[in-house]
Amino acid sequence: MTLDMSVEVGGLRLRGPVLAASGTFGYGTEVPLLERRALGAMVSKGIFLRPRAGTPPPRIVETPSGMLNAIGLQGPGVDGLVRDYAPQWASWDFPVLVNINGETASEYGELAARLDGVPGIGGFEINISCPNVEQGGLYFGNDPRAAAAVTEAVRKMTDLPVWVKLTPMVTDIGVIARACEAAGADALCAVNTFVGMSMDLNARQPRLSFRTGGLSGPAIRPLAVHLAHQAARAVSIPVIGIGGIMRADDALEFLLAGCAAVQVGTATFVNPRAIAEVHDGIAAYLASNGFASLAELPRYLPRD
Amino acid sequence: MFLLDAPLVARREVARGMFVLTFDAPPIAGSVRAGQFVNLGWSPGPLLRRPFSVYRTDGGRIEVILKAVGVGTAQLLAMTPSDVVSCLGPLGRGFDLQAGPKSVALVSGGLGVAPMPLAARDARAAGMRVTWVHGARTAEDLCSEADGDEVIWATDDGSRGISGTAVAAVPDSALVIACGPNRMLAAVASRWPDAQVAVETYMGCGTGVCLGCAVPLARGGYDRACKEGPVYRAADIEWSMLPSHLPYALGA
Repeated sequence: MTLDMSVEVGGLRLRGPVLAASGTFGYGTEVPLLERRALGAMVSKGIFLRPRAGTPPPRIVETPSGMLNAIGLQGPGVDGLVRDYAPQWASWDFPVLVNINGETASEYGELAARLDGVPGIGGFEINISCPNVEQGGLYFGNDPRAAAAVTEAVRKMTDLPVWVKLTPMVTDIGVIARACEAAGADALCAVNTFVGMSMDLNARQPRLSFRTGGLSGPAIRPLAVHLAHQAARAVSIPVIGIGGIMRADDALEFLLAGCAAVQVGTATFVNPRAIAEVHDGIAAYLASNGFASLAELPRYLPRD
Repeated sequence: MFLLDAPLVARREVARGMFVLTFDAPPIAGSVRAGQFVNLGWSPGPLLRRPFSVYRTDGGRIEVILKAVGVGTAQLLAMTPSDVVSCLGPLGRGFDLQAGPKSVALVSGGLGVAPMPLAARDARAAGMRVTWVHGARTAEDLCSEADGDEVIWATDDGSRGISGTAVAAVPDSALVIACGPNRMLAAVASRWPDAQVAVETYMGCGTGVCLGCAVPLARGGYDRACKEGPVYRAADIEWSMLPSHLPYALGA
């Protein structure tokens, strides 16, 4: 019996529920030891309209069971992405979504318009949750009207799947989730990194040059499972769980808590085979528990 | 690039608190070039892997050099033979040691000895006369295995060799290769713009995807120590923007 791991998520039929998270996979062109068979989809490094240099070093620091990063969305801008990467993606056997960023809602819309119809681009993940940019980013993610305005601006410009990546830095993620759903999002990704800070005792200043950074890794997992669960309970579109998934059991927590799929990020830094191991581990769990498909896995989503 | 489980084979002390660890890693030993590094992970251990220049190779074995500077390195140094680390490598772009120059000066400060034995090997193979200038704070901190056609020692306190910095002790050479604290490399850059230097940065993945190991460039922007580096032409780096207070050279 072959186990059916495929899943329909926000307008895309994926061969498996394990996706590569934005910013942890580059543009997918130089990932070592990549096992494509296990990859449901890839979300590209976040892109702005124009090229960005990123933040000065130090950009990363390890913390207990996690890491802080402040890369600052270094990237080639939309022209570089279309020229250098999209043509390669067009021949791949899994969809690539572009993580899009802007300083205004109209910049997000303009980016979607520029990328819509470019071969190789399978959809968009709207980033309204990056903690490491001066303008935009997180601001859009913690105000339901701003989140909706950005989602609408992108939705108007494309028929491709539109996903919205939510920030955990909110009082009630359900409010933001519903605003994005109402504005036309096809799926939600929950959650981006938490804002954190660490001090250097020798230099007596923050260890990151940007002062703060986004916390990822196992340190955030229970927080992320809870937020993804809250988002899933608030909407009827699929939620993709993200946050500290290192192995299959971690991914299964998100799936059982109501997520349709998961993204693996920081784990790839540590273990280039993490995505394949998570995929295979989910399949093994389903098989040993008597499920014939991922779709049969029950989700814990009380609607009280 | 290989990802393999590498058993610890041996450990030896080469300076006060400075150790060389030998691991069995045949595919990496057979393909690593001077200046390249491996990214080591172990369990239980820190979340992220730790990058180490490959110090030497011996048949199917690789060696790395380290001091206990944090929890991770202390764990590595507490391992006993047959304990296993996960080893990813070889990574990065190494030194360019093609035949041409008649002589090379290898300049190392403290743990900056890390890439030098392989550099000496490759330089000799390319027909160069090797002068190794190795500096540290004091005699006890000098790596005992410095090796070359000529070896020049330098200590800040004058307890062995020349009193002063390794950089000040470098003789005229057709090619200069350097590794050590970023402060030292900045001094190298101002004296020999064309020197090849291996820089120290914090590192996330080691494979080019996280953009965590940004190196500020003199022409503007950043690239990645793990991919375009860790070896650079000295004058290509914007030294004023590269943190100088990291406690180690390519290792945690």
